[in-house]
Amino acid sequence: MNQTLEKLFILLSTIFTVISAVLLFLVIIFIAKESMLIFQEVNFFDFICGLTWNPLAGEPRVGILPMILATFYVSIVAILISLPIGIGCALELAALENERLKSFCTSILGVLAGIPSVIYGLIGLLVVVKFLEKKFMLAAGESILSGGIVLAVMVLPYIVSSAAETMEKSYVQYKETSLALGVSKSYMLRALILPNAKGAILTSMILAFSRAMGETMAVMMVIGNSPILPKLLGKGETIPALIALEIGTAGLGSLHYHALFTAGFVLMIFLIFLNALFYTTQKV
Amino acid sequence: MKKKLLTAVFLVVSLAFGLVGCSNPTGGSKPVEDAKTQFKSEIKFYGSTTLAPVVSQLSTNFNERYATWDKVDSQFDKKDIAIYVSGAGSSAGVKSVIDGVSDFGMASRQVSDEEKAKIEGYQDFKLGMDALTISVNPKNNLIKLKDSLTSEEIKKIFSGEFKTWNDVDPSLSKTEIVVVTRDIGGGAHEVFQKAIMGDAKVRADVIQAPSMGALVTKIIENENAIGYASYGMVNQNKGKLTPFKVDGIEPSSENILNGTYKISRPLIILKKGSLLPQEKAFMDYVVSDEGMDIIEKLGFVPNK
Repeated sequence: MNQTLEKLFILLSTIFTVISAVLLFLVIIFIAKESMLIFQEVNFFDFICGLTWNPLAGEPRVGILPMILATFYVSIVAILISLPIGIGCALELAALENERLKSFCTSILGVLAGIPSVIYGLIGLLVVVKFLEKKFMLAAGESILSGGIVLAVMVLPYIVSSAAETMEKSYVQYKETSLALGVSKSYMLRALILPNAKGAILTSMILAFSRAMGETMAVMMVIGNSPILPKLLGKGETIPALIALEIGTAGLGSLHYHALFTAGFVLMIFLIFLNALFYTTQKV
Repeated sequence: MKKKLLTAVFLVVSLAFGLVGCSNPTGGSKPVEDAKTQFKSEIKFYGSTTLAPVVSQLSTNFNERYATWDKVDSQFDKKDIAIYVSGAGSSAGVKSVIDGVSDFGMASRQVSDEEKAKIEGYQDFKLGMDALTISVNPKNNLIKLKDSLTSEEIKKIFSGEFKTWNDVDPSLSKTEIVVVTRDIGGGAHEVFQKAIMGDAKVRADVIQAPSMGALVTKIIENENAIGYASYGMVNQNKGKLTPFKVDGIEPSSENILNGTYKISRPLIILKKGSLLPQEKAFMDYVVSDEGMDIIEKLGFVPNK
């Protein structure tokens, strides 16, 4: 009896594993299929390197270079802002002796990760965008920078949690030795924990970067959605924002529709690449 | 090896069973008569994001009053009223009717003859009109100078020919005009494009707001912003944003209904073929005085 149950359990878990793996491939195949059609009408390089996005004009142009650049630009800005904060926070968490305070901080970070992105977008629109308008005397505060700031807050928990884990381990490992040698806590953190966590920091960066690239709603609300080449204080449009904004009105099977799918495909390729990078860095 | 093969075979078989199991209850092969006698308690609305809140408010009120279909009409079955409303844009609404995936489509633009031709037994219900007002922030100094903009001026502002407010009027400061639009492929923009822009393109660096609410928020928050806020939104936010007359014609409910105000669009519910009795019962409620009151309360111009 027990053995049959065991077998059944193994079988079921195999089935579910296979299903989830198959699901991924089905998604990739579906998107690839929908997007390949566009290359019958548009040259691949024109699509990737084209500067004009105007799929509804008499002579439709579908170039997504501005969107690709904006997607990277926003994510890089977000990482640049959140990485120092995240690492500092992770170090503090790792070295915190007070267990109750530590679990309190961790749970706060958890809540931060759980806030719906549309809420972040709303706060971004009313606070960050407004702030930039006042601070930089901009006509409109919708910009790559505001997108980056909002995203920085959103990816912070990911950076902290994955970096803090490794740091905590090495903190426990070196604590006794450091105490015995009489080095100060800050020296230990600087000279031992931080260099030791290099790999983890890189991993957390990649994870946060891929999160940032895929974020849709919050970015869409604060970035202005203009399909032009991005500048730090200028408007831009990321690939997820482009798709979310336009897929509802794109005619089924039209050039516009396929162009949006292909934009999604390009984004997916980038993300798969980043994920692969994530796994290789994690192994090191 | 053999074990692996066995697992694979089992997988395929179980998947096949699963798929068969899925298709059974919906019964693609059931006789037509059976489907007719079965009372349909669900009505699906799909389309315009402008109309979606209207229909969903109407359905909520309808539901609160009757709860089950037999209370609407004693001939109906005792089943819960289930009216589903989802917003996805006017074109998607029309498409859903053509494809037959929804019971009703919602469109906040004229349905083209080409589209009508694709719908067998096309019929529509005009609920009212929605107008786009050219609105600015009340702190914008332009409203002290004039209360009307010509189509030509609006066109120049939106196309980027006028870059700063100073270009619109020499006495204004040289601050950049912040143009806010909805997504360029959407229904609202289509109305604006047809009425004002014609063949001209809007400038590339406009802010594309993901919803009408976001567009209005932007105008309320930014002194230099100009955008096409819907008439309903202006009424809901009275005092927070200021609409201009267009070519001297005020966006009032009269002007909008009789069509003299240029930038307006109809609110239409469309249907393929004839209505089921329960669908008719709901649509009767929608076009009743009470239904029209709700449409007016939500800020549109009811068709009365």
